[in-house]
Amino acid sequence: MRRRLVGMSQAAATAEAAYKIYGSGDGEVRALDGVSITFDKGKFTAIMGPSGSGKSTLMHCIAGLDSLTSGSVTIGGVDLSGLNDKELTKLRRDQVGFVFQAFNLIPTLSAEENIVLPLSLGGQTGDRAWIDRVIDTIGLRDRLDHRPSELSGGQQQRVAVARALASQPSVIFADEPTGNLDSKTGQEVLTFMRRAVSELGQTIVMVTHDAVAASYADRIVFLKDGKIAGEMTEPNPEKVLDYLKHLGE
Amino acid sequence: MLLLSLKMTLARKGRLFLTSLAIILGTGFLSGTFIFSDTLSKTFDRLFTDVFRDVDSYVRSSSFIEVQFGGEQRASVPIEALDTVLAVDGVKDATGDIQAFARIIGKDGKPLGSDNGPPTFGGIATASVAGLWSVEEGRLPSGETEMMMDRATADNGDFVVGDVVRVNAQSGSREFTLVGIASYGEISSPGGATFALFDQPTASAFLLKPGFVDAFLVQGDGSLSEEELAARIDAALDPTLKLETLTGAQITEETTDQIGAVIGFLTTFLTIFSLIALGIGCFVIFNVFSITTAQRLRENALLRAIGANRKQVTTALLVEAMIIGLIGSILGFFTGIALSRGLSALLAAFGVDIPTQGLSIELRTVIITLLVGTLVTIASAVFPALKAGRVPPLAALRDTAIENVGSNRRRFSVGIGVLVLGVVALVLAAVGVNDWFLGLGVVAFFAGVLIIGPGVAKPVALGLGRPIEWWRGVTGAMARQNAARNPKRTARTAAPVLIGVALVTAFTAFAASVEKEIRDTIGDQFNGDYAISAPSNGFGGLPITLSDEVAALPEVEQATGLGFATVTLDGEGRFVQVLNPATASGLIDLEMVLGDQTELSPNGVIVSNNRATTEGWQLGDTLDIGLVDGTAKTLTIEGTFVPNGFFGSYVINRDLFADTNNTLFDTIIYVNIRDGVSDEDARAALATVSTDRGLGTLQSRQEFIDAQSGQINQILGLIYGLLALSIVIAVVGIVITLLLSVFERRREIGLLRAVGMTRSQVRTTVRWESVITSMFGAVVGVVLGIVMGLVLIVVLADDGLSAFSLPVGGTVVILVLSFIVGVLAAVYPAWKATRVDIMQSISTT
Repeated sequence: MRRRLVGMSQAAATAEAAYKIYGSGDGEVRALDGVSITFDKGKFTAIMGPSGSGKSTLMHCIAGLDSLTSGSVTIGGVDLSGLNDKELTKLRRDQVGFVFQAFNLIPTLSAEENIVLPLSLGGQTGDRAWIDRVIDTIGLRDRLDHRPSELSGGQQQRVAVARALASQPSVIFADEPTGNLDSKTGQEVLTFMRRAVSELGQTIVMVTHDAVAASYADRIVFLKDGKIAGEMTEPNPEKVLDYLKHLGE
Repeated sequence: MLLLSLKMTLARKGRLFLTSLAIILGTGFLSGTFIFSDTLSKTFDRLFTDVFRDVDSYVRSSSFIEVQFGGEQRASVPIEALDTVLAVDGVKDATGDIQAFARIIGKDGKPLGSDNGPPTFGGIATASVAGLWSVEEGRLPSGETEMMMDRATADNGDFVVGDVVRVNAQSGSREFTLVGIASYGEISSPGGATFALFDQPTASAFLLKPGFVDAFLVQGDGSLSEEELAARIDAALDPTLKLETLTGAQITEETTDQIGAVIGFLTTFLTIFSLIALGIGCFVIFNVFSITTAQRLRENALLRAIGANRKQVTTALLVEAMIIGLIGSILGFFTGIALSRGLSALLAAFGVDIPTQGLSIELRTVIITLLVGTLVTIASAVFPALKAGRVPPLAALRDTAIENVGSNRRRFSVGIGVLVLGVVALVLAAVGVNDWFLGLGVVAFFAGVLIIGPGVAKPVALGLGRPIEWWRGVTGAMARQNAARNPKRTARTAAPVLIGVALVTAFTAFAASVEKEIRDTIGDQFNGDYAISAPSNGFGGLPITLSDEVAALPEVEQATGLGFATVTLDGEGRFVQVLNPATASGLIDLEMVLGDQTELSPNGVIVSNNRATTEGWQLGDTLDIGLVDGTAKTLTIEGTFVPNGFFGSYVINRDLFADTNNTLFDTIIYVNIRDGVSDEDARAALATVSTDRGLGTLQSRQEFIDAQSGQINQILGLIYGLLALSIVIAVVGIVITLLLSVFERRREIGLLRAVGMTRSQVRTTVRWESVITSMFGAVVGVVLGIVMGLVLIVVLADDGLSAFSLPVGGTVVILVLSFIVGVLAAVYPAWKATRVDIMQSISTT
């Protein structure tokens, strides 16, 4: 095992001097331009920024889906650099949960099968009591046998969040999880994510451009041009919109 | 719009190639068949034009017998008539000609030439200018102990002038001194045949019958046309001799036509298999177009939204099909050139060794290949293209569309209707109304199953996938669901496998039944210790004197020969079995119903029970028999026997031929050994009169039964070889479908990879989906094949269902191979699936 422990800090995931550079010479694009950041355990963090600010790239690199040009990333104390595809896949399966904007679920599997998918892929059954608690929290116990196509958009996203929670990962990454939902269902999902952090002690990192969604977080990190442009704690929508206005100037 | 189609087609090169592959292989087989048979025809045309180049007239007997599939047997010509011909005004010279069976034995004691290869001839070497041969080295043979042979045979056998050479022919096995090497114009050996040549009296006595030849070759002095010369000779001949005169051109044409008929049969046989391959290719094309039009729903809807009308969308797709069809057929044509060589090699491997010279590519081959390939591709795309035209413009705004399954009820009612039609036709064929019902029934039966296919694909795929899910867990579950999620697609992909497996199974079942039948028959009716046999399908056989020689050996208790002859019975050409009742008893036991085989008189016949029943024959009834030489006699029915696959319907006494001018060979000699003689001693003794002289094959009872019953497996092997290409096309079909499915599900695969599916798990999922699909085809195909084999046996075998033998081992092998095919077909698509870019597939836009 090439895993390296980086101390027993409260960090669920970290990035250190992260650079992601596409192309070279005149055509060079710096999607990430020296980002260092720590996501604390048991916290709900939102990453905001205008399009092309590098927020999705940062998330993908920290989640082990994409690789950095230079710099280092850790998840649950494990340094991702030097892990091969198989080890990265295993790390994503066991240590990371994902919620995407759409196409989150496998259409041929039932809601329950989707929820336990990462566990099944690892040949595990998981902690049944925990899974039951998660299912009760999302409130879809009577829908467990349904296929995704038989669920509403909001229900599908809740199943996706439940899947992300099922294996009790070190960190859950959510990429615009409410982007495809109307505001009411979006709020349901966000409330549920909030509870997952507050009541179930999970760690969530969410990329969003929606000020209301971001205000559910404990902390907001603002990105611009691949750099960290600022932070905010205890946000509310007005404060966020105000800040974004400044950022745009 | 045309330009757009072209651009859209060429933009997908990989898919274009794979789709074309199905057409390339299908049309390749077709053009390969054409090229092969054209080359064959040309080789023989050239050969016979050479043979009869200097022949102006050809005199032969007008008495002959023609048997279905058995060719023509013609009587001999008395040599005395040659003087009449020579005396005709305008004849420069004439000579007797013999083309009879003679096998030259090589220096290693083995006969030259193969049993099923080019013929081994014996003939006449003469100084006459009308003769076909000229002396290249040494001199002409003269007298009973001298011979010549052709240059190629001498070279192959390493013979030089002065050598003593053993030759086997109808009258026995003899040794000759080689006094000369002959050549045939510029050709050293026509068509790969071997020639042993003697002076006329020796040739007649040794090869045919003393004083007789097959024909006269006549050369004119140039003062008359061929027609006038022939007419003059014909007029001069004694009408009681029943002779006829042909011109050189006529005999060339007739010989070429006879060979042409054989080549035509071979071509039909090969064409059937190439059409099967092409049909399976159609399915693959149809499937690919159906999938891609579904995948390109948005693209087509967008075209509609910006103003293209239905017709334009449909036309665009048909043009795409035309381009693929044309490119595929062009490549297929070139593949055909290579395949024609492959066909030659395949047939040679199964004993049909035909020499070919050069490569004959006719314009017709090019046109037919391109036309058939292109039209078939377009036809396969018609339904998907019409469907694409019906896409509403609004679909452009919708998400991905899965192919809708359509009404299952209608599918079932139509499918079952067709199936019932097929069953009715098969039953009609089975009760013997008309054999055409067999073909109709089989086609309808297949069509019915293929129509119902998509309706049952889901439950069957789910059922087949269950053990995989138990074994493989979540990856197995996903494979199972993937195989079942699009039943139409799964059914269409499995269809080529189904057809291929059904055909293989049917032939296997049929062959197994025939093998069992032959085994049982020989086992029951041949009671000897050893058998000496000549290839029954070959030219010539064992001299009829051989059985007496064998019987005279001190180690031998009893020996009897069995042969067959071509005769007419009440005017119909028939094969009859010829035995020697004096020695047969105890060695050959017919299952007699009435009468006693040992009492079969020279003018008696034993007929099969069935035949007697259909014809209403009673013991004592008579049949008119005509022999090849024109002898007409009346036979009395002296017994009936239970028919079997070995003895045909008629058995006569060999003494019937005693004082006639017919050639008669034995094909098998059965031998009983005296008590106490060891196997080694028996074999050694029998070999001295048979195999040591290059005569026949010596086998123990068990070896003989195995060899005889195993002959069907040779044909089966050939059929497997010809079906192999269809199976390859079916595999290509699975590969393309999987690739398209992987492409379609790349977002899903990306998601799975993101949430922790390893590459090896991705591969596993694709692999098992492939296995489920191919097994779906295989399982249904095996069931269908067994039913077809059963029908074939009932229709074609005399004693019906009891002859059916289920090829358990063969079926298991077929299923295992289908499993492996599924695994192999998934290799590339599975690899492609592991290369799906996670980032790209999860990005929302």
